[in-house]
Amino acid sequence: MSAPARDCWLAREGEQATLFLSGAWQLSRLAEIDAALAGVAIPASAIALDGAALTRLDTAATLALLRRLSVAGTSIGKIANFGESHARVLEAVKGRLGDTDVESPRRPHGVLALIGLHVIEFRGLMHGHLDFLGRATIALRDIGLRPRLLRLKETATQFQQVCVDAIPVVILVSFLIGIVLAYLFGLQAEKYGANIFVVDGVAIGTTRELAPIIVAVIVAGRSGAAFTAQLGTMVLTEEIDAIRTLGLSPMQVLVIPRLLALVVALPLLVFVGDVASLAGAMTVANPLLDITPTTFLERLHSALSIDHVIVGLAKSVVFAGFIAIIGCRMGMTVSRDSRSIGVNTTSTVVQCIVSVILLDAFFAILFQELGY
Amino acid sequence: MNAASVIEVDSIVTRFGAQTVHNGVSFSVPRGQIAAVIGGSGSGKSVLLREIIGLQHPTEGRVRLLATDVWDASEEDLAALRRRFGMLFQDGALFSSLTVAQNVATPLIEHANVPPHLLGPLVRLRIALAGLPVEAATKMPSELSGGMRKRAAVARALALEPEVLFLDEPTSGLDPITARAFDQLLRFLCDDLELTILLVTHDLDMLRGIVDRAIVLSRGKVIADGTVKEVMQVDDPWLQSYFRVRTMLEGPDNNRGT
Repeated sequence: MSAPARDCWLAREGEQATLFLSGAWQLSRLAEIDAALAGVAIPASAIALDGAALTRLDTAATLALLRRLSVAGTSIGKIANFGESHARVLEAVKGRLGDTDVESPRRPHGVLALIGLHVIEFRGLMHGHLDFLGRATIALRDIGLRPRLLRLKETATQFQQVCVDAIPVVILVSFLIGIVLAYLFGLQAEKYGANIFVVDGVAIGTTRELAPIIVAVIVAGRSGAAFTAQLGTMVLTEEIDAIRTLGLSPMQVLVIPRLLALVVALPLLVFVGDVASLAGAMTVANPLLDITPTTFLERLHSALSIDHVIVGLAKSVVFAGFIAIIGCRMGMTVSRDSRSIGVNTTSTVVQCIVSVILLDAFFAILFQELGY
Repeated sequence: MNAASVIEVDSIVTRFGAQTVHNGVSFSVPRGQIAAVIGGSGSGKSVLLREIIGLQHPTEGRVRLLATDVWDASEEDLAALRRRFGMLFQDGALFSSLTVAQNVATPLIEHANVPPHLLGPLVRLRIALAGLPVEAATKMPSELSGGMRKRAAVARALALEPEVLFLDEPTSGLDPITARAFDQLLRFLCDDLELTILLVTHDLDMLRGIVDRAIVLSRGKVIADGTVKEVMQVDDPWLQSYFRVRTMLEGPDNNRGT
């Protein structure tokens, strides 16, 4: 029989149909081979395979062949002239053909179901946070009863990382915010000749609202995310399990030092932010509004009641508690694959920022009603 | 095709600072063989593997893999070479954000022109060839046991029909039964799919069960190279104590003098 230069062709001798295979049947030519197979009218009766002209046969090409045959409802009657290794490949794929069917993909959830799933997930998340807060409180009580439990060294290390290392970025951002605020207020106040009130606006605005929020957002992004990543990595490497096995409490060893460090650090950072933003405002007040530094400070002294500063600092203590609890819990609940660290870290930052702003809104109303 | 040797390692020297890990390591592996590199911890087995597949530059020496000089090849040649071998990393190194099926499909989608209707079946075939049940395809790597993760990684390494398969400690962390089943998988890949396999192992059962050839690294050199039986006869203190551990477990009767 003459052999045309193609991958496969069908020949009949009486009742018996034979499929001749030829050339290199390998993955890199899979598309051509599949097209060639599609071009052959495969009969429904059993056919014979002839592999005399095959130079190579790999599992991918064999799969293409066997699936075409099974779609046509054909069985393989006889195998002729196959090399030993080609026959083995054919057998190996044939034995696993049943496993290669792909079931239809799962239907995606509808919008309503998605909303429902997210609500349930959210409820679980909140429940978990509350539970974690409770256990942290118990751990704090234990420390209150037995101060020796407090890990001073770890707390100091954390304080260094969340407070001292954050000072430059807090100063920079707050200083710039002070400049922008003084500039914007100044543009408006100048129209009424009320330049001096810019000091009132900036002083109350930054110390009471802006500095706490801005600094809390910076710390949420810096330290909240760091807590999740640190603890999450420790979950992955089973360090947390090791701590438990050694009879120590991860809450005491890891969470409480971070919580305490942050609760102390955030008010201090907010105070740094207060000073820096007022300094920023003072810097532009002189050239822009003809308010000399002396006038600025005098006005500041009479306009800024200490209450505003204290309200700002007090709020930041609560912000710090939320950031630390969320950051640590999201780290402790990392599942044991590396992807989940990224997912949880992102979630920490989002949760921290949203909760800081919600808390701030709550405090705004609360202090209004209390008359501060 | 050069049937003589698929992997040629020629006088490799590796230094990290003052520490010399390899001091002239040479061997070659012919097609269709399962060869094992053994040696104590810190003898540079994994480093050698990384040097062979082009991940880490040896200080001196040459590596020829499938007739391509790994450390002298152009970026295109290297890219072409990488499609012709598969590597199983110690912990599988599966992409944790993808399902097993997506892991296996990744190299196929990137490098092979597979007709869409065949992609799914081909991925399933790889998974079945690696000895995983069909249900594993839709699972995430974190949902699999250690043994299944290794098999999933083998399925991914097999995706592009490689000619050579490298394995770093394939049976570490597996129980003996799972490990022996893994041995059978390697033997099947070597015998039926004609892969050449180079692995790094500590597993004595694996050495005696399926390995055609053992290459022993010690003090920066190849101190023994041959069948496991031959290697066991070599008079070297480290090697002798290595095999003696086994004798202590099984008793002297059914082990020595093989």
